[in-house]
Amino acid sequence: MRHPEIDTWNGKARDPDLSVLDMEKWPGRTTLRAIMGWNGIKVWDKTVDAVALLAAYLEKTKDESCGQCTPCRLGTVQMAGLAKGLTQGRGKTEDLTRLKFLAVQISRTARCDIGRTLARPVLDLMESFSKDFEAAARGTKRVEEGQAYTSLVTAPCVAACPSHVDVPFYLENIRMDRWSEAMDKVREDCPMPGTIGRVCVRPCETRCRRGNLDEALAIKGLKRFLADREMEGKLTPKPLAPPKRPERVAIVGAGPAGLSCAYYLGRQGIKTTIFEAQEGPGGMAAYGIPSYRLPRSVIAHEAAGVEALGAVIRYNTRVGRDITLEDLAGQGYKAVFVGAGAPGPTRMNCKGEDQGYENFMPGVDFLARAARGEKPLNGDRVAVVGGGNVAMDCVRTARRLGFTDVNLIYRRTEAEMPADALEIKEAREEGVNFHMLMAPIEVQADADGKVSGLKCLRMELGEPDKSGRRRPVPIEGSEFVIACDAVIPAIGQACAVDQFLPQAVVSEWNTLVADKTTGQTQVPHIFGGGDCATGPDILIRALAAGKYGAKSIVRYLDTGDCTPGPEDLMEALTGNPALFETDPPLPYPGVTRREEASVLAPETRIQSFDEVEAGLSPAQARQEANRCLRCYRILVAAL
Amino acid sequence: MPILSINHNSLEFQPGMTILEVARKNNIHIPTLCHLAGCTPTGQCRICVVEVGGTDELLPACETPAGEGMKIMTHSPGVHEARKTIIEMLVASGAHNCLVMQSPADSWNSDQKGIMEQPWHGGLCPAYGDCRLQDLAVEYDVHVKEDHLAWEGHPLDDATPIIVRDFSRCILCGRCVQACNDVQVNLAITPPWGRRADHPEGWYPAADYEACTHCGECVQACPVGALFDRKSFGKALANEMDHIRTTCPYCGVGCQLLLHVKDGKILKVTGVEDGSPNKGRLCVKGRFGFDFIYSEERLTSPLIKENGEFRKASWDEALDLVAQKFTTIIQESGPDALAGVSCARSINEDSYQMQKLFRAVFKTNNIDHCART
Repeated sequence: MRHPEIDTWNGKARDPDLSVLDMEKWPGRTTLRAIMGWNGIKVWDKTVDAVALLAAYLEKTKDESCGQCTPCRLGTVQMAGLAKGLTQGRGKTEDLTRLKFLAVQISRTARCDIGRTLARPVLDLMESFSKDFEAAARGTKRVEEGQAYTSLVTAPCVAACPSHVDVPFYLENIRMDRWSEAMDKVREDCPMPGTIGRVCVRPCETRCRRGNLDEALAIKGLKRFLADREMEGKLTPKPLAPPKRPERVAIVGAGPAGLSCAYYLGRQGIKTTIFEAQEGPGGMAAYGIPSYRLPRSVIAHEAAGVEALGAVIRYNTRVGRDITLEDLAGQGYKAVFVGAGAPGPTRMNCKGEDQGYENFMPGVDFLARAARGEKPLNGDRVAVVGGGNVAMDCVRTARRLGFTDVNLIYRRTEAEMPADALEIKEAREEGVNFHMLMAPIEVQADADGKVSGLKCLRMELGEPDKSGRRRPVPIEGSEFVIACDAVIPAIGQACAVDQFLPQAVVSEWNTLVADKTTGQTQVPHIFGGGDCATGPDILIRALAAGKYGAKSIVRYLDTGDCTPGPEDLMEALTGNPALFETDPPLPYPGVTRREEASVLAPETRIQSFDEVEAGLSPAQARQEANRCLRCYRILVAAL
Repeated sequence: MPILSINHNSLEFQPGMTILEVARKNNIHIPTLCHLAGCTPTGQCRICVVEVGGTDELLPACETPAGEGMKIMTHSPGVHEARKTIIEMLVASGAHNCLVMQSPADSWNSDQKGIMEQPWHGGLCPAYGDCRLQDLAVEYDVHVKEDHLAWEGHPLDDATPIIVRDFSRCILCGRCVQACNDVQVNLAITPPWGRRADHPEGWYPAADYEACTHCGECVQACPVGALFDRKSFGKALANEMDHIRTTCPYCGVGCQLLLHVKDGKILKVTGVEDGSPNKGRLCVKGRFGFDFIYSEERLTSPLIKENGEFRKASWDEALDLVAQKFTTIIQESGPDALAGVSCARSINEDSYQMQKLFRAVFKTNNIDHCART
């Protein structure tokens, strides 16, 4: 790793692990000469024109200023003007003093972090390159022509989101009752706001700085608020009328990744055809997430939005069986995006699971059939194995299908369960029995081949494993049997892209091998992402894969190449939480509580698949959005 | 109760109070520009920033919650410098000429002369003497360099009959936005803020006249001379007017008015900020519908119509005529042939007498009030 020649990031307290800055390995071969941002500066090339970099940084800050608070609105204009004067040989020595003075004043008094984070990089840069600045003020500095820049505006929540949705932007617009503007911004990075607003696992909220004060913003709930208003027809979105392009792109799978890719290609005027094996859109979002969490009407609305942008979805068409990639190339599709998901079950590695017993069914199949309105398993007692959200969906769905004795079996403790805490709470409210520290060793059946019980072993927690969670260790001789009528393993899902893809782009785990940044595979016209590349993962990451895949496909269609550019490097860079970590505690007490939507009572909700959670009201949404601290962070780099 | 200190004084406060509320309760003055009573603080102008021990940041008193043990300084040198810098920026951001109006005209620079040539800028600013920015500029001894002035290129909206919106004096405090959306709920002034790159034309709180009722709440909320009414423009300085509190005569709500009077003549009406029931709010009639009282066409004596022509009459003659005709109508057609409509502008006691007259004297229930229509 190349070390910066000057590094004031975090006040040199410690160098955060910025291994992503190992720029020699960066596929785009872009290198940054220097960056300046909220926590200081990093300079890899001391010959960088620091005066021009300052001017670029201040111009960017000025452009991001929102006009609300006086010091940022007016002060950034003054500063940008002074810095520009320096680069044009119009500077005076007192300008340097004035720049430093304004930097400190704006940082001390601005309303949000656009202004508040400005002093540190400005002062660090002016100090580290004081000779250059003095020369510029005297008019004796040679001005470098054509130094190029790239910049990125982010925030802890934005950086935490795989798709980098501009959270502070839309929250502020909700606060001002400008719902349409808010939604336009959401849709720039999230094509399924109604879905994400209901089922996202919210990486943004875990990094919300308000959480250090009282409670994190209800970002998911606010996105759903907008989606609800959109479905009510209360928004007037900015019309999208991209110039139509002749190229067509084929997409495998109408799940979140595929729909997302089609949506963003559609926004660029590119027509797409989506080949979907199932009879309806949504993929795992539709067939894996029960409708009490995500109503079908929401997915239908969002798929319709994708079709409105020029996508055609061909249902009941499985690529590899009904049509091949060669067929698609023959039909003139210039590129393919593979978003095939991870629809296959994984094995529990216990006896009896492959005997074809009646009432034994993998969780994904159980949920898919329940989603189609069937009651796939019979009996009163069911055992679900697993600790993730799919397991939660299975137990809660089983409860709604009439199972009266629903048991969840997990080999570690609740603390290690990957499922959403709210899901666990609501499952428990619905009367699900939790059995922790147990692992299944045999599915038992009666003489007719019907499931009769699940033999388990008790576990205890040992040393932490690679994931940092303590590894469960079996207790010898602790076998016992849970009597039950049905068993549902829900311990993970598998990919099966080898069925239709060339061997060169398939990994030993049957996943798609694609570049993490661009989604491009070894076969240049084949792109892909989502669960089929990562294994089962969170929904927003699949949407992000679709978005970035679309961006790369456009680049590929335009230039034949989709090498990531400097802006991609900047995004990758801010993906490192270490960049943000030294935020000081906020100097006042937290006194607000986050707004919570109302939920149906447990005894009501187990009667049907009606949606459990209601959305926020306009008053609640405005109140909640007002709690956002707007922790914007600006990063400007000289190339 | 928890305790904090402001300027070394230990003060008790209720959890949930802001620093500004604690200060005001204890008569400690912290200046504000954008703070509008009764609305959620927006923290926009940053004039109310104070020093809180333990942080380099200055915090806005209006929206920062008071915390146990906080050590607050409201007028430290750092606070003074920050406020002065902000006021300087605000004065420099528009056509603010008031600070030079008393120096001789030949000493003015080209900016100042340029400002005087703008529409509505020929004389003193309509807020002169009653302007929070002017007060602060004087208090903090602010001087603005000529080359910092940005007075050109702001829009002017003087196309409607009552209110002038001169954005060259606007300091973007957002009070008019809140007055319109949160106080009156007319939703005629959309918050204009957003990334500068998305707002190349600037951020001006323009009014949407499809929704505007011309109530003038925004004018009353404006702390400077950006929003003003045409009627009082140029008629008097704030300190030349007497203030008389009265009750609005238009309808039965009883809003409290403050008449701004010079030489016995009402020039302007505002709502009484702390007076119930309206707490400063007024409608278009109460605020702007007052100049008819000086109309030459007002009736000054009763008139009786004879042969199609009105002639002046005395009160006795007119009332005798009415009494006689009423008596005849009642005798011929019964009391229900009469009906009374009491005027909403009457005081409560007069309206009571009116219904008594109809019910007890004329013996009819045909009595109503024009505010019901």
